[in-house]
Amino acid sequence: MEKKKVLEIKNLSVGFLSHGKKMNVIRDITLDVFEGETLAIVGESGSGKSVFTKTFTGMLDSNGYISNGSIMFDGVDLATLKKTKEWLGIRGKRIATIFQDPMTSLNPLFSIGYQISEVLRLHHNLSKEEAKKEAINLLKKVRIPDAEKRYNDYPFQYSGGMRQRVVIAIALACRPEILICDEPTTALDVTVQAQILDLIKELQKEYKWTTIFITHDLGVVANVADRVAVMYGGQIIEYGTVEDIFYRSAHPYTWALLASLPQLGSKEDPLSYISGNPPTFTSEIIGDAFAVRNKYAMRIDFLVEPPMFKISETHSAKTWLLDPRAPKVEKPTIIKNLSKRIKEVSSELKKEIEIGGEKHE
Amino acid sequence: MATFLIGYTIIALIVLFVLFVILVSRRIIFKNNAKIQSIFAHPLLIYSLKRIGSALISVMLAITATYLLLRLKSRTTICQGYIENWQKLPVDVREVRCDSVLKDLGLYGNSFGEILGQIINYFYKILPFPKTICTQETGTDIIYDAFNNAISYVRVYDCRTFIIDLGISYKASGTDSRYVIDIIFGERMMHSFRIGILAVVIELAIGYPLGVLMAKHKDGIIDKIGKTYIISIDAIPGVAYYYIWQLLLVYIIGLENRYDASNFASWLAPALTMGLTGMAGIALWVRRFMLDEFNSDYVKFARAKGISENRIMYTHVLRNAIVPLIRSIPASILGALLGSFYIEKIYGVPGLGEYLIWANDYNDMYALQGIVVVSAFISILAYLAGDIVTAMVDPRVSLASE
Repeated sequence: MEKKKVLEIKNLSVGFLSHGKKMNVIRDITLDVFEGETLAIVGESGSGKSVFTKTFTGMLDSNGYISNGSIMFDGVDLATLKKTKEWLGIRGKRIATIFQDPMTSLNPLFSIGYQISEVLRLHHNLSKEEAKKEAINLLKKVRIPDAEKRYNDYPFQYSGGMRQRVVIAIALACRPEILICDEPTTALDVTVQAQILDLIKELQKEYKWTTIFITHDLGVVANVADRVAVMYGGQIIEYGTVEDIFYRSAHPYTWALLASLPQLGSKEDPLSYISGNPPTFTSEIIGDAFAVRNKYAMRIDFLVEPPMFKISETHSAKTWLLDPRAPKVEKPTIIKNLSKRIKEVSSELKKEIEIGGEKHE
Repeated sequence: MATFLIGYTIIALIVLFVLFVILVSRRIIFKNNAKIQSIFAHPLLIYSLKRIGSALISVMLAITATYLLLRLKSRTTICQGYIENWQKLPVDVREVRCDSVLKDLGLYGNSFGEILGQIINYFYKILPFPKTICTQETGTDIIYDAFNNAISYVRVYDCRTFIIDLGISYKASGTDSRYVIDIIFGERMMHSFRIGILAVVIELAIGYPLGVLMAKHKDGIIDKIGKTYIISIDAIPGVAYYYIWQLLLVYIIGLENRYDASNFASWLAPALTMGLTGMAGIALWVRRFMLDEFNSDYVKFARAKGISENRIMYTHVLRNAIVPLIRSIPASILGALLGSFYIEKIYGVPGLGEYLIWANDYNDMYALQGIVVVSAFISILAYLAGDIVTAMVDPRVSLASE
């Protein structure tokens, strides 16, 4: 692998102070992000995926702090940046973020045009006219029809999908090297979701940025990602290429996650789910965080935290099951037939989207 | 005569204008003239006219209700005020004079028909078109025949033209025209407004920045002091802290205690008392709305866009926080015309607030009724202005009816 690393995260830990208690929400994450790739970070709510990516732009809530580790970005350690001033050239300009809810991401009182050109004028020092011209170009890029006319419209005059396009246009305006998409399609309906994902993919080809996709929707992951990192309890428990994760996954949590995809289940079987709750971080986690919910758990899982086992050049997982001394376990049947099942499901889905898309137009 | 002419012309123009707007907006005339349509069928204009129209109905109801309530007062109560030396007069003379006073005032008669007539008459009087009000007898003219024999006596009044006739007050002592409520209101509102507008300026000039600072440095020292101040103002009854302010401003700082229209320095104490009190509420709400907005997604996104904290604060957050507050600004400016009873009493300001209490104490029917009319019109205008200002600031608010 001769890819250039854009982000090098080493032993990153993030703590939160809440009611005088310290909570370690991100625990010792080491991960590399390569140039031009799309990395998906997957995990259930509360696994720390948003907090993790917030450290790349210094947008942790005021009671959160980086307690250990480094984030190297183009020779700068982002973990050491504290003041807003130090972030000015990076946040928004080189690392941009798109949030979950396009309905509330835009300021309701300023016109779409103003909100785009604001960024252009700030980061590229354009004049008012230049910024307007460029903003209209960007609106065209994200396929807003009648861009010139809609430049002066306000967010409430746009639909959810259109607003997310505007949000993307704003992110584009900075020509970022890294685009963090924090569940950008969760609040949108399925047909619009597909359009937005396509748009992001297409623009990525043109602008050649690196995308970090946060999602709990494995359907989205299969659609966009090159590599996947699965998070649980503030740690990355498995990472690898999409194929690694979908077809050769090694961690019981990844199995459970894949098995609980409702699209993959057949009508006769009950939906499978992961029983229990994710860890709460209020007390120290001993051993494997997933052990209590894991039906493959061994005694060692409750005692010692597993190390990251390297499975292949691209694929690693953090589970004692990979230890040579561990007994061989059978994967759940759903996951074994995953590739076949996905093909069936995705062809169905594509049909649906095409029909939906036609209806839309 | 000239006043009459101008007055009627203005009224005629207003009526014509409203009629024209209705016809244009209903697309009865100038159907295809885009320019005229865009001016005279403008949503703002139509909305204002509609609002004023519908508000007038509620004002009429309010006036009728207060009129009926005030008419519950006995004839003796009313006459007492208008007739000098009431107590010393013999009973039969009282009755005769009382009748004539009531007739003069248009309050004679208690039957349903008569009272209805009086209310209609009152509405006629407050309709804004020029009419003559004659107040006090200034003397008697004797008319002579050809042989210089006096054939009749004519009482001579001081007469003037007014647009709205709020009636005649009786006790506001002084000379001639002071009896006319229009004039009394005019003068008293001037005094109230001076103090009131100064107070509003103080209120806004301190309240807004304080609220912003408190929100910006939440839980900091400014926030703590501000919160303490706001809570004390909220917790202590108004009468109490007005006197505390007086103590502070007059006896410790040394500002003028008595209001004097010609001395600006003497306006400060009442204005500060009013403004420093009102500012607490403003700061509280500004702080609250700012903090609400701080946690909103667009602020996070703005931060992710790389915009500086100060810019987020002063352009994005402040504008959103002000929207819910801006509606009340016209109301507080126009409300300044009405004055505040306590403050005017404490500092001896001859304003409208003080007059209201006085009129109530002395059963001055027309003065009370007049205050109801004036404050009703002021609140119509204030809320209309508030709506328009809100629509100007917030693009989501549209005045056009669907």
